[in-house]
Amino acid sequence: MRCPTLLALLAGVMLYLVMGALIFQTMEGPEERKAYGNLLNVTQIFLQSHDCVNTQNLSNLIKRVAEAVETGLDVKSNSTNFTSRWDLASGFFFCGTIITTIGFGNLSPKTGLGRLFCVCYALVGIPMFGFLLAGVGDHMGTMLRKAVGNMETLFLKRQVSPTYVRVMSAVLSILIGCLIFLAVPTLVFCKLEEWSLLEALYFVVITLTTVGFGDFVPGANGKNGDLFKPLVWFWIVFGLAYFASILTMIGNWLRVLSKKTRAEMEELRAHATDWTQNIQNMSKDFQIPNPLDLNDPFLLQRRRWKRSVRRRVRRGALGHRDRLGPIGQNGHLPNRWLAHTCSMTRLEVRPLDRGEGLGPGLRLLADLHQRSEGRSLGRTVARSLSMPAAKSAMELDYDSDPLRMTSERSGSGSVYEYGSLSESPDSDSRSVVSCYDSNASGVCQPGLERPLARFDPGGSLCTEQEERQGGSMQVFLGIDSRFPVDLQQLPKPIPMFPLPLPMPATVQPPSSSSSPPSPDCKMLDFFGENLAFIDESSDTLSERNQPVEGDVPASHKPSGRSARRQAPPRSPVRERRTDNDMQPPSNPPTPPPI
Amino acid sequence: MSSGYKSWVLLTGFILFYITYLMLGALVFSTIERPVEDMLKTDIKALKEEFLNQSCVNATSLDTFLKRVLEANTYGISVLPNSSARSSWDLASSLFFANTLVTTVGYGHTTPLSDSGKAFSICYALVGVPFTMLVLTACVQRLMHLVTYGPISACRRRLGLDPRTATAMHFAVLLLLVVIGFFVVPAVVFSQIEDSWTFLDAFYFCFISLCTIGLGDFVPGEQPGQQYRAIYKISVMVYLFLGLMMMYLVLRAFHRMADLHGLTALFQLPHCDEDSDDREPIVKAGPEDQNENDLVASAKPLGPASKSSYNTIQR
Repeated sequence: MRCPTLLALLAGVMLYLVMGALIFQTMEGPEERKAYGNLLNVTQIFLQSHDCVNTQNLSNLIKRVAEAVETGLDVKSNSTNFTSRWDLASGFFFCGTIITTIGFGNLSPKTGLGRLFCVCYALVGIPMFGFLLAGVGDHMGTMLRKAVGNMETLFLKRQVSPTYVRVMSAVLSILIGCLIFLAVPTLVFCKLEEWSLLEALYFVVITLTTVGFGDFVPGANGKNGDLFKPLVWFWIVFGLAYFASILTMIGNWLRVLSKKTRAEMEELRAHATDWTQNIQNMSKDFQIPNPLDLNDPFLLQRRRWKRSVRRRVRRGALGHRDRLGPIGQNGHLPNRWLAHTCSMTRLEVRPLDRGEGLGPGLRLLADLHQRSEGRSLGRTVARSLSMPAAKSAMELDYDSDPLRMTSERSGSGSVYEYGSLSESPDSDSRSVVSCYDSNASGVCQPGLERPLARFDPGGSLCTEQEERQGGSMQVFLGIDSRFPVDLQQLPKPIPMFPLPLPMPATVQPPSSSSSPPSPDCKMLDFFGENLAFIDESSDTLSERNQPVEGDVPASHKPSGRSARRQAPPRSPVRERRTDNDMQPPSNPPTPPPI
Repeated sequence: MSSGYKSWVLLTGFILFYITYLMLGALVFSTIERPVEDMLKTDIKALKEEFLNQSCVNATSLDTFLKRVLEANTYGISVLPNSSARSSWDLASSLFFANTLVTTVGYGHTTPLSDSGKAFSICYALVGVPFTMLVLTACVQRLMHLVTYGPISACRRRLGLDPRTATAMHFAVLLLLVVIGFFVVPAVVFSQIEDSWTFLDAFYFCFISLCTIGLGDFVPGEQPGQQYRAIYKISVMVYLFLGLMMMYLVLRAFHRMADLHGLTALFQLPHCDEDSDDREPIVKAGPEDQNENDLVASAKPLGPASKSSYNTIQR
């Protein structure tokens, strides 16, 4: 808050106080004088009618009695049997007034020990009551908001302006609260305590604002039964909570009205994006036509963009979308890939031309070298994995990635399987990945002979992926038999492993015993890259039937930093082929290095 | 819906615990105070009888008389000889009364007698209490930068502590300073100025006033023959206002600390909303919010208002 505003507020309060003091003095002074005069008269009459009493004795008596009354003693009653004012109900009420900070004062501890205990009691009780009030106020505020929301909808239906509606609903809610917590108790107290209406209202206001003078205290005449005081206390709690929630609500409205609206709109948009994304995922998994297919070019564009985003997430470029599959769910994987991408792009590799007959490892390196940051290595891994399968010359329509340096075609049979594996939420890309754990020396050798069963992790690189191995892998081959899988080709990359790559170990493997960290992570990343490549191919598969929007040259992929609301909806189109027939990917993955 | 269910369960648990706490307090107070009350009652009885015995007054007329006197006494009017001079509604006392009304302390040693006074009190309180809370919260907001965010970030920078430790340490130091500066020292001062107050009485008074309970059994400046009453009362007013601000500050710091340590989430209470509040308060925030950015990152996600006691509006 700016200094002048604060000073102005302070000055305002001071002025308010002075004004109040003046008015009170004007109002109360004469009254006080009158009462004093009356009392003097009474005293004089008493003294005159009773000659044996002298002023001194009387003063002493009065002083002692007044002190006693101040302690809370009731000297007016003449009864000889002693009814304490500290019975349980009164004590409960007193503690209630202490904790709510009302503090009537008609009853207060007189002993030193009692006062000390009062202090400690209040120290604990007031914060506790604060919590209680917060909780009750929260619930009441929610109910209030719902009621207000209902009212607002009612009003909005009649084409009233929103601000007006808001104000009206605020006023209405305040009125309802006043009715329940002010008007009704006033009438009740007026009736039960035999106060005047003004006195009852005065008491209600003074109590609910926690001022609590104590000149009027309910249950003072003791004829309303023992349940009266606890009931009063409950009323106090709910009334306090209600007014606290009202004030909070109004404060929130006044302060953050526009900001909240903006935030809510953002949330709404985010939810809509999530929802459409989920729909697309589902449609892909179950090969159902996209229910959002509207032939609307904008929507198609958007969908494609989202798909590419999803793909990027799978590859770990955007690490935050954890609902997009096991790769994304595991926060470690994308980060590792990302980190590794950074590391790998630092490699110095001579650029390779397309179609050179180089080992896949080198090809991979060249690929990475060209890649921008944020492009995960999953693609490389995916490519490496399906490279041997490519030799079987499948006809798949892979998207052209202009950034890819290699132009080998790879079959997509196995690739496709990987793709569907990675897409189904239950599928365990982690377990697939885990096959590449551990030693570089032919870790996949046993696994690849029986591609399903042997994919167990070796000396685990990333322990978090060790769950759900094996079992889900059984589904591997059975998903789609459209493309023959030549998994026997898979072992081929292994001899090409010995490609020493001076990769800095940027990722710490949790418990890799036998192999140095970096190769394992490399393998992991490469595998992930394969998977991503598979994703792309499967995407293009399903996109076969979509109208072509033209090949947008995929440029620099936006880095993972930017959120889902990235600008380019143009990028998804890059996965599309200009021709409708399926061709093997121009840049098949290379086998993972050692 | 399980979180909603859980919050209802928590709330019910809280209420039950609270009721138990109240019963416990009632029992303890009862045990402590009853014997003293017994004794006092016996004393007064004896006094009355002694008075009656040695005079020609009969019991009924004495009772009537006493009733009148005591009624007037509750309104602050006394017929004792040395208290006849002053009024309880001169300007300083009225100011003091208005202050107790507006800060919700409400001692009750002087209360409006007339009907118009009562009606005016109602309106005055309804407007003044939120207004005062607004001012107090605004001051506290400003103070928080100075007292909390600044030292905590400086602490973290110099000592390299994580936010939780730094906040806890800072809170402990702040609490100690407030207790010494606003409880112990004023208690000493009050016990010196007021004749009949012991140190414990004065400490009790400070605590009861600063928590805005305001029982009214101890009110400064009500002694007959008090010198410089006007200045004394006004200085007590200033002390009350400053003390209230410090209490709110401590409460806020505590809430922030509880937030950081996850206690508010544990009890499913509204989070400390101060980070957004302090930057978008009722009026525009200043440039000094930059030093709390490091704290913001460690704060929990913001939620609805925090402790919504009546005394907090902006939270």
